[in-house]
Amino acid sequence: MPQSVLSEERLRATLGVPVTPEQLDDLLFVSKAEVNGREGDALTISVTPDRLDLLSETGLALYLAGMVDAAHGLPRFSELALPAGAEFRVDRSVVPLRPYLAGVVVRAPADRTLDAGTLSEAIRFQELLHATVGRDRRAASLGIYPWEKLTPPIRYSLEPLSDVRFVPLDGPEEVFALDFFATHPLAERYGAFGRTGDRCLVLRDAAGSVLSLPPVLNSRSTGEARIGDRALLLESTGTSERVVRETLGLLLVVFAGRGWSVAPMSVVGPGDARSDGRSVLSPPPVDLPSALVGEVGGEALPAPEVERRLGRARLSARPHPGGWRVGAPPWRPDLLAAVDVVEDVLLAVPIRPEDGTVSPSYTQGRRRPETVFRRRVATDLLGLGFTAPHTSLLVPAARVESLGDPAPIRIRNPVSLELAYLRHRLFLSHIEVLAHNTRHGYPQRFAEVGPVVVRAPASEPGAESRYHAGLLLASESAGFAEVAALVDYLLRRHDLLGVREPAELPGLIPGRTARVRVAGEVVAELGELVPNLLAEIGVPVPTAYAEVDLSALWPLLGGREAL
Amino acid sequence: MLEALRSASDLPVEEEELARRCGLPPDAVRGSLQRLRSKRLVVLDEAHEALRRITPRGEATLREGLPERRFLNALEHRGGTLSPEEAAAAGLDPEERSAAIGILRRRGLLEDGVPFRRRSGSEGGPVLLPEEVVLKQVANGEEDLDGAIFAALARRGLVREERRSVKRWAPSEEGRRLPLPAEGTEPIGALHPALLLSGEWKGRPFRPYDVRAPVPFLTGARPNPYISWLEEFEELLVGLGFEQAEGPLLETEFWNSDVLFMPQDHPARSIHDALSVEGVEGHLPSADLVSRVAAVHEGRPLPGEPRALGAGWPGPYDLTIAARPVLRSQTTAVSARYLARHPSPPFRMFSLDRNFRRESLDASHHIEFHQCEGILGAPGISLRDLVGIFRELAKAIGIRELKIRPSYFPFTEPSIEGYVRHPRLGWIEVFPGGVFRPEVVRPLGIEVPVVAWGIGVMRLAMVALGTNDIRELFEDDLERLRGGA
Repeated sequence: MPQSVLSEERLRATLGVPVTPEQLDDLLFVSKAEVNGREGDALTISVTPDRLDLLSETGLALYLAGMVDAAHGLPRFSELALPAGAEFRVDRSVVPLRPYLAGVVVRAPADRTLDAGTLSEAIRFQELLHATVGRDRRAASLGIYPWEKLTPPIRYSLEPLSDVRFVPLDGPEEVFALDFFATHPLAERYGAFGRTGDRCLVLRDAAGSVLSLPPVLNSRSTGEARIGDRALLLESTGTSERVVRETLGLLLVVFAGRGWSVAPMSVVGPGDARSDGRSVLSPPPVDLPSALVGEVGGEALPAPEVERRLGRARLSARPHPGGWRVGAPPWRPDLLAAVDVVEDVLLAVPIRPEDGTVSPSYTQGRRRPETVFRRRVATDLLGLGFTAPHTSLLVPAARVESLGDPAPIRIRNPVSLELAYLRHRLFLSHIEVLAHNTRHGYPQRFAEVGPVVVRAPASEPGAESRYHAGLLLASESAGFAEVAALVDYLLRRHDLLGVREPAELPGLIPGRTARVRVAGEVVAELGELVPNLLAEIGVPVPTAYAEVDLSALWPLLGGREAL
Repeated sequence: MLEALRSASDLPVEEEELARRCGLPPDAVRGSLQRLRSKRLVVLDEAHEALRRITPRGEATLREGLPERRFLNALEHRGGTLSPEEAAAAGLDPEERSAAIGILRRRGLLEDGVPFRRRSGSEGGPVLLPEEVVLKQVANGEEDLDGAIFAALARRGLVREERRSVKRWAPSEEGRRLPLPAEGTEPIGALHPALLLSGEWKGRPFRPYDVRAPVPFLTGARPNPYISWLEEFEELLVGLGFEQAEGPLLETEFWNSDVLFMPQDHPARSIHDALSVEGVEGHLPSADLVSRVAAVHEGRPLPGEPRALGAGWPGPYDLTIAARPVLRSQTTAVSARYLARHPSPPFRMFSLDRNFRRESLDASHHIEFHQCEGILGAPGISLRDLVGIFRELAKAIGIRELKIRPSYFPFTEPSIEGYVRHPRLGWIEVFPGGVFRPEVVRPLGIEVPVVAWGIGVMRLAMVALGTNDIRELFEDDLERLRGGA
């Protein structure tokens, strides 16, 4: 879950209503945020991925104010008008690389300027948004600039690297973009999103000053917001218009939620990059049918109660045929459809366990007949004195490769070479069990009923999950005859008669290996383990093994086990 | 046995000799002597002897000559000078040749440098090298030999020292005094078929056993405790009217995520979180179903409907991603396949099965984990039914205190989590669930509300089985499984 460290003092100051730490914990428990730790003023909060707005002190305070009934309804912010020409001009050249851009200007209330807390909150929240909804800046990245130092319009274009010089935000002197991309760690990490060939993305104002090289770094001259600034430009560039709009809307909570006024920047440019910027400030309303609250929540709420709860959730509601038209602030991109609004209604008051209902069941519970069959086989094996390990479907690369078996499917991105292949026979896991138990005495007898995955090119996933029963005997007298007898017994238990035929299988002695067929279908394989494998894992006694394909047996039983 | 020892004049008697005198197999003698010893009727005098043996490789060397002897012979044959090429052609492998040169130089028989020459004054050197002498002594079973040379030969694998325990037995004082029964009236030890059939047991006493003596430690096969726990959990669900379902462990992203309305660029679907495979090609289900799922992802109306169900996700829906096989990361994929078969409401389904996520292995995380998925669908089903199910399940596993908090899953709205209070661990998150979004159920043709939950049963099992390490649920220690550890 996304997590961040907030200032508890700032949160309380923004909330403006006294709450004890215990009350805060309780309030957060019934929200989509959670306290993970406290150290001094540092409050570590995690949130569910749909409510990133709660990872800013301002966003969390707005929510809590609703929950303690200190505020109600949609947070209001005043809108500014920008002078003519205060706009973005998007050049066609950016379209193949990073076509979308949105921006707003925010201005502090008359009696305030940008303070350290707000700047720090904005920068921290900006980085969090990069890492989450911005998909590590690939989908969208944000910039914050001192508006009063800029000369609009702002041009967004691809420029030759050799034409771009700027002072990086973290650097002492002016550098050429060519050097910047070659040497700067942020360029190494994000450069590919903002550069193509010998050109890079540049935001530049009408005076020719470079604001930033999106999505890598701002310039120091016109790209550094400072304490005392009165107005800021917030912009977002990216590969998806919606993600660009949503990230900018989320960042806006830090300013709009604190009373800063907001002005959308229009975007002049090619294709669907063009906009008047208003969509950032006014997400489309969601129509909430009145019946849906009762259908999803299980209880029809009176209209005033629905409206009260929407107000607590800091949403607006105005009557609309059949229900309400619900308005949300720009920092609530999670409200995709009516059910998302229903959730806010239902969660605006705590859900109690006693609210749960247990409807009478009109269905008859049952296990899958095939599972019942497998379980019977497992019980038979237990009755035969076999110990029952529980092993992973994933097996070590070294074992598969030493057996030279091409059948197992290899994991493309394994966490460890110990869990690098999908077993196609339980045998691969059971060799490991044998190897892990050499410190114990012999005889050893163990068996397991478990899944395997075999290639099946015609199936939807390209492979089929099957269930096998594997049984292993390691003792001075273990041999082919005993495992063959056991397989015969397991088949006989289900009124089946198998026919053995010679076979060759990796890890088993040629000439002492067999396949068992029932009605022409291969249902089992068995044999004695090759001595070099036993020597490799340190087993000093003969070992015999059998593996029964229960998924092959099941159809042969014709559903008898279901009865 | 005791009689044989009492009548022996050459006490103590070696165990093998005693077996020969009694005409019994060594194993039987060994067992009887141990029993007599446990009754303090005999005493044991045990000594350890070292036997020096020549190895098969040593025997071959004895026949063919030590490498250093063969090198000297080649030198003599070439008139006392040998070039490296001639030495290489002398039939010694490089390792032997190098060892022979080293030994001969240490013995002062060979000059330094090349070509190889006998050191002046050594021409009339020893007829036999010390190593040859000792090797022959060992082959002849001689005891008095040079220990340092023997050790050097042992390091070369030509000889070895075997240690053997020699057990010699004599009657104890009590064993000498003990009156022995007359012939034919000895008490009967172990019963055996011949004795029973012959009737020889009649009229004879039975040797009493020491019923307090230790016996072998036996263990039997037992069900795997974790699997048993899972089966009991399944039983709960069957009792609540749920029908079991299963699905593929290797699944396409279509079923694993797309049908569940997870955006195709969701971080949980990245190579860092989902396990993908090599050399396997996945296929998509029917074009109709794919087009319906694509429509909700792109925020378009379902075919034949006037309005979209919601805004969908940014970006176009990618069929290549949809067909990619991955290891199933959630049993919700099984629910989706179940729903696609259009069950008639009301329906209750559960699936308790393995899933896989790219987690680092530690005490609380495993790549492979069991999840118990359940869905409940019928007209009028709501979030309250889900809370009710959580309450019933908590009660069934013996936990009374439950609290509910909001949560988030891409495929449910509202989403909640049930926390239960464990006496030792405090409040733990156990029951995540929610109401399936219309974007999930409608493309599958389901028109009734469906609530769903996916319980991380491994965590519950750890609590129930008293372990703090998830890896112990993948138990393969046979002693522990048999209850012997």
